[in-house]
Amino acid sequence: MSLFAVEDLALHFGGIRAVDGISFDVRDGEVFAIIGPNGAGKTTIFNLISRLYQPTSGRLIFRGQDITRRPPHVVASLGIARTFQNIELFANATLLQNLLIGRHSHVSASILSQILYTPAVRRAEIAHRGRAEEVIAFLGLERHRDRLIADLPYGIRKVVEIGRALCIDPRLLLLDEPSSGLNVEETQEIAAWIDEIRGTLGVTVIMVEHDMSLVSAVSDRVMALNYGRILALGTAAEVQRDPEVVRAYLGG
Amino acid sequence: MRPIRTSYAQDLTLLPTTGSRVRVALVTGVALAIPAFAGEFYLGELAAVFIFAIAGVGMMLLSGYTGLVSLGQAAFLGIGAYTNAVLLARGVPLILSLPSGAMLAGLAGVAIGIPTLRMSGLYLAIATLAFGSIVGTIFQKWEGVTGGFGGFPVVSPTLGPLILDSPRGLYFLSLAMLGLVLLVAANILRSPLGRSLVAIHGSEISAQSMGVNLAVTKTLSFAISAAITGLAGGLFAHYVHFLAPDSFDLVLSIQFVTMIVVGGLGSLSGAIYGAIFIRLLPQGIALLRDDLPLGIGHMPGLEPSLFGLILVLFIIFEPQGVAGRLSKIAHYWSAFPLHRRATFQRQKSYTRSERVR
Ligand SMILES: Nc1ncnc2c1ncn2[C@@H]1O[C@H](COP(=O)(O)OP(=O)(O)O)[C@@H](O)[C@H]1O
Ligand SMILES: [Mg+2]
Repeated sequence: MSLFAVEDLALHFGGIRAVDGISFDVRDGEVFAIIGPNGAGKTTIFNLISRLYQPTSGRLIFRGQDITRRPPHVVASLGIARTFQNIELFANATLLQNLLIGRHSHVSASILSQILYTPAVRRAEIAHRGRAEEVIAFLGLERHRDRLIADLPYGIRKVVEIGRALCIDPRLLLLDEPSSGLNVEETQEIAAWIDEIRGTLGVTVIMVEHDMSLVSAVSDRVMALNYGRILALGTAAEVQRDPEVVRAYLGG
Repeated sequence: MRPIRTSYAQDLTLLPTTGSRVRVALVTGVALAIPAFAGEFYLGELAAVFIFAIAGVGMMLLSGYTGLVSLGQAAFLGIGAYTNAVLLARGVPLILSLPSGAMLAGLAGVAIGIPTLRMSGLYLAIATLAFGSIVGTIFQKWEGVTGGFGGFPVVSPTLGPLILDSPRGLYFLSLAMLGLVLLVAANILRSPLGRSLVAIHGSEISAQSMGVNLAVTKTLSFAISAAITGLAGGLFAHYVHFLAPDSFDLVLSIQFVTMIVVGGLGSLSGAIYGAIFIRLLPQGIALLRDDLPLGIGHMPGLEPSLFGLILVLFIIFEPQGVAGRLSKIAHYWSAFPLHRRATFQRQKSYTRSERVR
């Protein structure tokens, strides 16, 4: 069954056709990878799904709902979470505080009750903290819980960003180059988590990734893009064999 | 040693450790005891420290936590001061006039917050500066209400047993208001709202993707900051007794910036340290005035220049301010003798070249 679908999506920046009429759908429970050379339009697709960009044309359908006109701050509450290619954590806050901000879409307390810090607010805070601690335990981040993001090494920050996204309790998780800048061991760790996120947590994943070994290891289907258009869509093996994809990567 | 926590609830408590409770109890006790032996002059000056600390807390939420610059804080202070004074003169009781000043200032915060939603840094600084000068002009020109350049005398009401005419009465009222404002600010900071302010400071695009409504939250930050500053303004009216439109100008706004930078951005106690500093400096200059060489002590513009110089020096050499320095010292002793020099050095930052444009 399809969880998420993109219909004829396009975004033009002046003359640049960053996304140029793309359609695909993502099944519930699958890991769907997007590959393609730099500038192919992969991150732009994520920014369109996150509603940070307004498409020139096309539609985004999530769980049967048209979300093309929803403002960016409601996307999380729909159940769509994401990470960023160049880590967008809150550097002046601790790891724990970052994860708690991931709970923001589940906050229902009014501003006044927060200012008064009513017992209901306190109870909700304890529940959010409990959820954040589960994510911390899941990703093995206990040691770093109270450290400022600015003091953490790059590899840990990438994991924290995944954790923050998981705190949303998403149905769909968008990972933008989860392995970029990581070494081989760290990349294998990411692969294991993606498997668990799908397997144990039952979250559907769309992943932009360059590392083909990671893509082959975890994804059910792969979509190859170039110049904002789909070159091929299929299993990792099929896509890697596709002559158009080979040509794009060899710089044809 | 760092305290070891045993439950999540403990982390949500305002004063989680015995040490912090003792410290707050001690400071409160001293503050309540001071009027027993201090003279009227000193009580008045201490009341001014409390008033500036209130305004500092207001600015800290906006600039220190949300990361929004403001060079218009003096205007919010002025709106609170004039509203309170004008309503009092028309017979409104203090218990209504003081909150009205805060509320009107809060509305002014919304009025500047909404049009500047997409601004940050220098542009926001210029916009708030322009806002401040517009409000200053209104104080001058709206003579029917504010008395214009002729000024506006502040009538001194009583509030229960407190006679606000006396520094003693103002001392207690300001202290109580500072306590209240600190409680409100601390509650905000441990709530989802406080986290969303910090999130906006860290990264607007990811704050949005976590579900933070940027427009509402930034406007709210301006409104709360302005309302708190307006409350300080109402009290300030009773400190100065006489409102002149040019007392709420850019020089005062820059003093506020200096106050939170010197005190320490991103910490509530920083607002208090900053207020102490900003009120003591002029007294210090006055004391030293005649002893400084080359007649420096009598140079016009000495005070504002000194504030500017200190602001710059702090930004360069102690960006965490007094609060940051104190927490480093505390950390040094709690870890003694295991302190490492590099404890507070940051890892090299990653690049942000490919952010969403
Ligand atoms: N905000 C923007 N304004 C103008 N051009 C953009 C913007 N965002 C992306 N682009 C362009 O769109 C194309 C696709 O970019 P992007 O989606 O980031 O590629 P990638 O596949 O490497 O993630 C590139 O040519 C890029 O320069
Ligand atoms: Mg990209």
